[in-house]
Amino acid sequence: MSFLILSQILNGFATGMLYALVGVGLTLVLGVLNLPNFAHGTLFAFGAYFTYTVANLTDSFYLGVLIGPLLVVLIGFVIESQGVRRLYAAHHDYQLLFLFAVALILQETVILIWGPVGFSLLPPKFLAGAVDLGFTVYPKYRLALILFTATIVVALYLMLTRTNVGAILRAGIENREMVKVLGIDINKVFLFTFGLGAYLAGLAGGLATPIWGLTPTMGFDILPISFVIVVVAGLGSILGAIAAGILIGLAQSLTTIWWPEAANVVIYLIMGLTIILRPQGLFGSR
Amino acid sequence: MAGLLECHALSKNFDAVAAVVDVNLEVTEGSVHSIIGPNGAGKTTFFNLISGEVPPTAGRVYFKGRDITGLPSHRIPHVGIARCFQRTNIFPKLTVFENVWVAMFSLSNSGALDFIKRVSDFGEIGDKTREIISELGLEEKLTERAETLSHGQQRALEVAIALAGAPTLILLDEPTQGLAPEATQQMTQLIQRLAGRYTILLIEHKMHVVMAISHWISVMHFGQIIAEGGPDEIRQNEAVQKAYLGGRR
Amino acid sequence: MRDRNIFLIVLAFVVIGPFVQPKVIITEMLIFGIVAVANNIMIGYTGMLSFGQAMFFGIGAYVAGLLLKAGMPLIVALPVGTLFVLVLSIAVGYFCVQRTGLYFICITFAFNQMFYFIAYSWTGLTGGEDGLPGIPRPSLLLDPVAFYVFVAVVFLACLVAMKRIVDSPLGLICQTIRENPSRAAAVGYNVKLYKLTAFTIASTFTGLAGTVYAMLYGIVPIDQIHWLKSGDFIFMTLLGGTGNFFGPILGAVGYIWMSETFSLYWARWPLIMGIVFVVVVVYLRGGIVELIGKVYGSIQRAREAP
Repeated sequence: MSFLILSQILNGFATGMLYALVGVGLTLVLGVLNLPNFAHGTLFAFGAYFTYTVANLTDSFYLGVLIGPLLVVLIGFVIESQGVRRLYAAHHDYQLLFLFAVALILQETVILIWGPVGFSLLPPKFLAGAVDLGFTVYPKYRLALILFTATIVVALYLMLTRTNVGAILRAGIENREMVKVLGIDINKVFLFTFGLGAYLAGLAGGLATPIWGLTPTMGFDILPISFVIVVVAGLGSILGAIAAGILIGLAQSLTTIWWPEAANVVIYLIMGLTIILRPQGLFGSR
Repeated sequence: MAGLLECHALSKNFDAVAAVVDVNLEVTEGSVHSIIGPNGAGKTTFFNLISGEVPPTAGRVYFKGRDITGLPSHRIPHVGIARCFQRTNIFPKLTVFENVWVAMFSLSNSGALDFIKRVSDFGEIGDKTREIISELGLEEKLTERAETLSHGQQRALEVAIALAGAPTLILLDEPTQGLAPEATQQMTQLIQRLAGRYTILLIEHKMHVVMAISHWISVMHFGQIIAEGGPDEIRQNEAVQKAYLGGRR
Repeated sequence: MRDRNIFLIVLAFVVIGPFVQPKVIITEMLIFGIVAVANNIMIGYTGMLSFGQAMFFGIGAYVAGLLLKAGMPLIVALPVGTLFVLVLSIAVGYFCVQRTGLYFICITFAFNQMFYFIAYSWTGLTGGEDGLPGIPRPSLLLDPVAFYVFVAVVFLACLVAMKRIVDSPLGLICQTIRENPSRAAAVGYNVKLYKLTAFTIASTFTGLAGTVYAMLYGIVPIDQIHWLKSGDFIFMTLLGGTGNFFGPILGAVGYIWMSETFSLYWARWPLIMGIVFVVVVVYLRGGIVELIGKVYGSIQRAREAP
């Protein structure tokens, strides 16, 4: 039994790291642009599908994961510069609704391009199969996933805390007006942030393909989870998003051991508890 | 004799910043009491402590003998204090009539049944609303949206909203802010008309206005009261001059 | 245009509609018309954008459906279903109104999904993914004409009730909260309490519409409680026009008409809906009402030109 629990903990970690990537991407856009990006889920989906297509064309999973998310960034740039930016003058809610409409359009586009049936993608040969960890035999790919996403998260964290770009982003989250006053082109900041958020979503999508496969609705399926992560984390908290993502991944996988049907509901229970006991989120201020 | 409004050792810290420090203040009923001081002295924060926008870190506020410290901002009008804000704070897309009506309704004795009636059914509240709007010279704009009013008219509407609740004490935060000389004159005269009927606690920067209408002046600097007195006393007070002018004269 | 005249136009639509379009379509338009107008009490009047109204619609439908299946008469099933939603909306709303803006949207969204997953997992009660089938119509309403008249009466009654509410002081107070919440508090209104009131009113009427919906096709599909449906509700409200009490009815009519028509020609019709939504959000924020106003205005100008 303890083998089961331990391997589920690892699973939860793997899922959680993917959730963390998605959550951080959403948090960045939420924090800097003050926008809940309803298209975030579909960007995740496009990341998966682009990865799949590139991987099939080039016979290399690695190229898929490398190029796929970059293509998603392009989509993100178009959305931000052509749509979101035009609506800055209008009431805030309209940008949000625009993103929702974009999500609808993107969702249908996925089906238009790749069809209504799902796909699966095998992990690269090097990472296929399992490894003996002593207490359990565990899929290599998932281990690699944990390590890789951890690296990305650390790199992201370093970028945010050690570089100028990162400082500007964090300042933008705290006080957008101030950033403008300091003479920084806020449009570039917004474009960059949106692109970064899109990249993280797309990357998570691509990395997730060997584990979760590809389905046309995967974008809409992950969107609510990413919102829960953001609520539990506390608006604008990057660390919180990472922690919340892992927490939710673990909660899901552990619940599956004893009560599989409740695995999805437990996410919302966590959210509910957070709202009641600590409404500003685990890492939020105020 | 106890004042209408009394603040005892009122303080507010925002993390490391001491915005209001140990303020003791008493406002006499029926008077026009001005608070002056350089920018950033903590005057608006002080108002926020009284009107419930911000809870104090320490100290107490008494109104008509009753402890109102930390009362939430929506309860404050119900005890008889009305607040006007530094930046014009009206309901832009509502008409002038609706702006004032809604303030008056809030403080009328309304029961649950009143919510089934139409707004136009309330004859008495409607009449009183029109009275106040006339008193402030806005009757021509009765059915216009508040956002179409000029800056000066919006400031007047701000005051009308405050008066709608028939308050005992009015907190006026820089009522002449941004007003041209003529509009400033009108606002000053308006405040003089209100004096006596209402007790007025006033934040102002324009010295000629303050000196003309105040019975009592408190001077704030770095969150503390550094001087108090009648207009003549304050005019000659050295500490005040130093605070404003940096020691010249 | 005077309210009474608009009411007459709505009445005309209700009476003439079923002769022009299949009864089922018009019935859907009326049911979702209630939802859209109720939603506007939150969006247009109070300035609260909830992305979770489908939870109340769906729960109303499920509760009424289950009661009808258990043999309860209409007079029990609909009111109980509505009452259930009322109580639930107070509980859910209490937590949602603690926060504003983005957070409010996120919380309503997440609550919606929570109920979706409960409905999905509790297959014994709700039928899960397949929906709740076999909901009987009371014998009185088996005749399609009788059912339509019933829905029309409910629609008109809801409209009158909601109009009364927005014309009352409550409606004005909600608008002050939209315009300037801190000022609304400063004149003496407990903003959270009034937000909760608006939330509850809007959600209860939405739940009521859901209870009627259960009888329309005799089944409650699970997508009626999905967050995408909440998005559709917002779309309907916005499409019609949030600045006008009656506007959202046009939005519901337009939405149903478009989805019925487009789905005949293309399986990917939601893409077109998405594009229409984008157009409304970018160019026509006042919805169809704004469009009518513009058209009317240019006709006036054309008339007055020498």
